[in-house]
Amino acid sequence: MRVGIPRALLYHHYGDCWLEFLEGIGAEPVLSEPTTGDIITDGATRADNETCLPVKVFSGHILSLKDDVDAILVPRVVSQGHGRCSCPKFLGLPDLARTLDPQLPAIVAPKMDICDPWSLWAREWYHTARTLGAGRARSAAAVRRLLRSLGRLEQGAEEGASAPSDITIGVAGHLYNVHDERVSLGLLDRLKAMGARPVTVDEVDPAEVLRQADSLPRKVFWGFESRLAGAVLHWSRTGAVSGILFVTSFACGPGSIVGALLEDQLRREGSVPIMTITLDEHAAEAGLVTRLEAFVDMLRHAARTRKRTGLVAP
Amino acid sequence: MKVAVPRMGNLPFIVRDLAYRFDFDFMETPPFTEKTMETGAALSPEFACLPLKAVLGSFVEMLDAGVDTLVMGGGHGPCRFGYYGEIQRRILEREGYQFEMYVLDPPSVSLSAFYRGIRSIIPASRVPLARLARELSNVMSKVVVFDTLEKWAMALRGLEAEKGSVNAALDEAREIVGAAFTRSEIKRARAEAQERFSLVRLDRERQHLTIGLVGEIFVVLEPFFNFDIDRWLGKRGVVVERCVNIADTVYPGGRNPVFGYTEHAVARAAQPYLSHEVGGDGLKSVGATAMFARRGFDAVVHFLPFTCMPEVIAKGVLGRVSSELDFPVLSLSIDEQTGKAGVETRLEALLDLACSKRGKRVTAGVPVVRIEGGWQVGNGS
Repeated sequence: MRVGIPRALLYHHYGDCWLEFLEGIGAEPVLSEPTTGDIITDGATRADNETCLPVKVFSGHILSLKDDVDAILVPRVVSQGHGRCSCPKFLGLPDLARTLDPQLPAIVAPKMDICDPWSLWAREWYHTARTLGAGRARSAAAVRRLLRSLGRLEQGAEEGASAPSDITIGVAGHLYNVHDERVSLGLLDRLKAMGARPVTVDEVDPAEVLRQADSLPRKVFWGFESRLAGAVLHWSRTGAVSGILFVTSFACGPGSIVGALLEDQLRREGSVPIMTITLDEHAAEAGLVTRLEAFVDMLRHAARTRKRTGLVAP
Repeated sequence: MKVAVPRMGNLPFIVRDLAYRFDFDFMETPPFTEKTMETGAALSPEFACLPLKAVLGSFVEMLDAGVDTLVMGGGHGPCRFGYYGEIQRRILEREGYQFEMYVLDPPSVSLSAFYRGIRSIIPASRVPLARLARELSNVMSKVVVFDTLEKWAMALRGLEAEKGSVNAALDEAREIVGAAFTRSEIKRARAEAQERFSLVRLDRERQHLTIGLVGEIFVVLEPFFNFDIDRWLGKRGVVVERCVNIADTVYPGGRNPVFGYTEHAVARAAQPYLSHEVGGDGLKSVGATAMFARRGFDAVVHFLPFTCMPEVIAKGVLGRVSSELDFPVLSLSIDEQTGKAGVETRLEALLDLACSKRGKRVTAGVPVVRIEGGWQVGNGS
């Protein structure tokens, strides 16, 4: 049994756990190829025209898997953290995927609801495993392993060590945009090439992120966005970065709100500069590069001025 | 303290009623205009959805007119609406306005937060708990009656023998209900309003189209944004039914007293196409469309604000509903640039399509039936 996983959206968060699960039940996981221009075009033409860029990319990946697999795994991620919900797009994702093409292979959509303390959703994964042809014991073992690896994920990632650099830039954006070379037009590599050190949201300690996010007067109720807001506040309040890039995609709903919230909050606190970059399927490299260069130059200039006037960098 | 609330459908009537009951000073929310939208859109984040911009624009107008307390609805996701209040407060503070803002979380999020929200506007020293509960329950029944009046008007408008007689009846009925305050008065007013509606002469023989209205509550209810669709359709002899109402949204337990089908039934109808709640009115749009199709309606018009997250999903799924059930669905996404002519042309095309489809079928359209509690579209299957 060949089961496809589109290399898009929450694959960038939970992909390893999903792959491990499929291997555990003896199915052959098929990961779609890294995003290409064709995949984006395909997705943009077939998906609803008003959805956000990542969903269009996701649709492209689904269509690219169409002929090679017997089923496609599209988990319905209902929440990504305690007391938080997911963006509506994730809630309806399997149903959206089914509308793309009547000839699609079966879409299996077990629920993933991390804020459920009893993990009742795990039962759906068990049934999924059974329908994909695994035995009882094997399915149960795979589900237990999935729960364990998700738990480890919650506890957080290790800080990535990298080359020292004069400026550090916090890249606040969805992992599926930032870590996708094609969608982000190689944003992280470009920053590195300019001599800056980019840090992403997943490199910040989750406990610290939660604490910072709770300091906002009104709770951000989307799981990933609250993490993103917490990370930005952590960077700006501890002075861990010299500037923040807020990377969002065209028609991203939570992004429009959280972006406005963070811009306002940072302005009130008078801390580091923040620049918003909006990605879409027509994004041209030249425009992005110019803005990145200008931003990095501005940060360097500010750092030099501070040094000259004898002020300590924040 | 002078209170301002956003405008949406029957909300102005309800606020007037609340102000009378609890005796606070408030400002009648002015109707939306081009100017309101311009102000709102200029201040809002670019990709925020239409209701945020519209409400912000009208808040600015009311703050300029001397209001000092803003009340906004809240929520706990996944729809962006839950965060509107916070963003609007920040934007208005940035613009230098002095005001208090209360974001009322609905009881479904947290009963205590809801109670605290209410108490910050109506202090316990003035209105004791028992009276507050009684009055709120009376307001609720009044909201249901107000929305029911609209439901009757939409069902009857397409069949009226004299143009404008339903609108006249609606205005009078609203006045009758608006003057009722206690439980028994509201009950009597409802009967009186029904009497008033039954005076409207109907042309029962007329062949009519029946169209369902689904979508995001703000654009479906607010005539400025949907170009007064229920009257526009009514004028062309179309019987209309709408699945979203203020009463259905605030009524506890998902009973939907005005629409008449419970949340559970709607979710069951949506199940083959969309099997999970997506926030806002997304699931309801899909479920109600499937129901309308089953009840023999001719078409569904789906309204959504541009980039509305739940409704964009519904829109994607509705494409499938439409092709599988062979049922016309027109999705209209509305933003501050949407023009009346464009919307009307598409609606006319939809009516033509529904007419030509009707030609192939034997049915004479869904009848509007007089029942004990008013009027309903269809025989109640």
